Amino acid sequence: MSATAESAARRTRRGKPLDWWRWGGRIFLGFMLLYTAVPMIWMLLTSIKSGFAAMQLPPQWWPAEPTLASYQKLLDPQNSVGRDFLHFFWNSLVVSTLTTILGVIVAVPAAYAFSRFTFPGRNFLFFAVLLRNMFPAVIFLVPLFILMRWLGLVNTQGSLVLTYLTFGLPLAIWLLKGFFDNIPIQLEQAARIDGATRFQAFVRIVMPLSVPGIIATAIYSFIGAWNEYIYAYTFLNRNEQLTLPVGIQRFFSENTTDFPGLMAASFIMSVPVVVLFLVLQRYFVRALTEGAVKH
Amino acid sequence: MTIATGEAETPRRSGPARSGTARRVWEHRADYAYVTPAILVMLIVIAYPIYYTIDLSFYTTPPSLQLKDKIFVGFDNYKAILTSDVFWRVTVNTLIWTLASTILSFTLGFATALALHADFIGRGALRAILIIPWVISAVAASYIWKWIYHSDFGVIGAVLVELGIADRPPNFIDSVGTVLPSLIVVNIWREFPFAMIMMTAGLQTVPDQLLRAAQVDGASAWQRFWHVTFPHLRNVSTVTVLLLAVANFNSFIIPWIMTGGGPSNASHIWITHIYELAFGRQRWGVASAYSVLLFIILMTLGYFYVRALAGGEKKGRGA
Repeated sequence: MSATAESAARRTRRGKPLDWWRWGGRIFLGFMLLYTAVPMIWMLLTSIKSGFAAMQLPPQWWPAEPTLASYQKLLDPQNSVGRDFLHFFWNSLVVSTLTTILGVIVAVPAAYAFSRFTFPGRNFLFFAVLLRNMFPAVIFLVPLFILMRWLGLVNTQGSLVLTYLTFGLPLAIWLLKGFFDNIPIQLEQAARIDGATRFQAFVRIVMPLSVPGIIATAIYSFIGAWNEYIYAYTFLNRNEQLTLPVGIQRFFSENTTDFPGLMAASFIMSVPVVVLFLVLQRYFVRALTEGAVKH
Repeated sequence: MTIATGEAETPRRSGPARSGTARRVWEHRADYAYVTPAILVMLIVIAYPIYYTIDLSFYTTPPSLQLKDKIFVGFDNYKAILTSDVFWRVTVNTLIWTLASTILSFTLGFATALALHADFIGRGALRAILIIPWVISAVAASYIWKWIYHSDFGVIGAVLVELGIADRPPNFIDSVGTVLPSLIVVNIWREFPFAMIMMTAGLQTVPDQLLRAAQVDGASAWQRFWHVTFPHLRNVSTVTVLLLAVANFNSFIIPWIMTGGGPSNASHIWITHIYELAFGRQRWGVASAYSVLLFIILMTLGYFYVRALAGGEKKGRGA
């Protein structure tokens, strides 16, 4: 990274007269930080209160007797709430992982073809794929429900994986295509002159160079699948198959006043995707810069 | 198809020109193998549902969804929708929701990206914190905010009472007047990070030399932003705004979980309304007709979306 050089350049570029802008920016950032962080902090603080402590007016700004009881309840396989919750967690993990793996397997060749080949109808198909993003889940719900019934997939997680694939694909293909576009075709040609097949050239040359793009795509699919609600809410009925968002909703409609439990569940549900994203976010921003923005 | 034929003749395509589409298709037969899996999945899960929805919008179906008993009613479903009061109420809500969420999310996201562009200690950490709301599930976000807005024990209400601004905690999401703005605040909370990421990525492509040259020529910070940075970001901005607009137009989870469209339809938007018609009241035909109307609106938006993307494509090839 040339971050230091860049920032040094910027510092010289911005002389004293700009301080006004800079201070405005800082105040604004402070405001945005409050807006972003306060709800999350309140979630955490509530989750370590007892049910009684959470429901007070004026509220306990800081929990008087912090307790991890809500977390223990949710993560304890002996207890019925915990058993369900761990089940939901596991289901979400399975569905999201499968969606991610299949998504990458399908998106990589498609993006490669859109980037390298010029078959008739290429642009039409490319934009048709992108148009998928335009349509809300609700439009597809009824017909998909009937389709899944016909395929015998209702109440299975297969129905979710198949559906999630399609809304992850458009952005995945778009991002990856941008990545492949930026890899000089001469590199592949050189490999092929040396006797590699197109597939070998792809695996040895293009794939390693596009790892950031593939990682970004994978994160995007995973987060999308992990957080998806409406299909899971409609397609799955049996308690032991629910994914986290729907499971939590069901939990809450049965325990309407257990706000600490709900906040703890929200927190646990957020941890995997937040950690995943924060660890890999530089790939994501880079993929956007290389793929979607720069062209 | 106009897009395809219009774009197909770009100079990048070499080889025998115009010697019959069939022959070109045959020559490129192997290429299709790469896109087939993607297209196949798309066809099953998209083309079929679209066809099906259009078909169903002309029928009344029994609640059980036993489709052999459906009755053809022509355009009655459409007439029923366009003459109902709820339709107009929901449409106004949808417009307010979409416009306010999109404009504010984009403005806040863009401003944050600009403010974070200059390096300072802790910038990476700050950026990471600001992204979190976009990453967490909308269901979790809805519950967090529902708790914050709680009419008895909500933290915002408590703060207002402590500061003496209000006598008792206000009803944010249980009163007709405040529910929609309150939900929009939640939606922006979740969406401005997306605009921030996109614009951050865009800002990194603005050439430093140009900015420096402008400064040497005596341009002020504002002039540099307006004449150098912003024109460079026009394409990213268009795509970001469109993606946000589409996402907002299609939102479901936040209103559905937080209020279910209530009180008295004050927070129903198109999608939640369609969902309720279909799965709540089992009026599949009317819901499908709604979907078709939605589809027409989205196709119009989609035209601009594709044009914006196609603009980026052409520029990319030139570069």
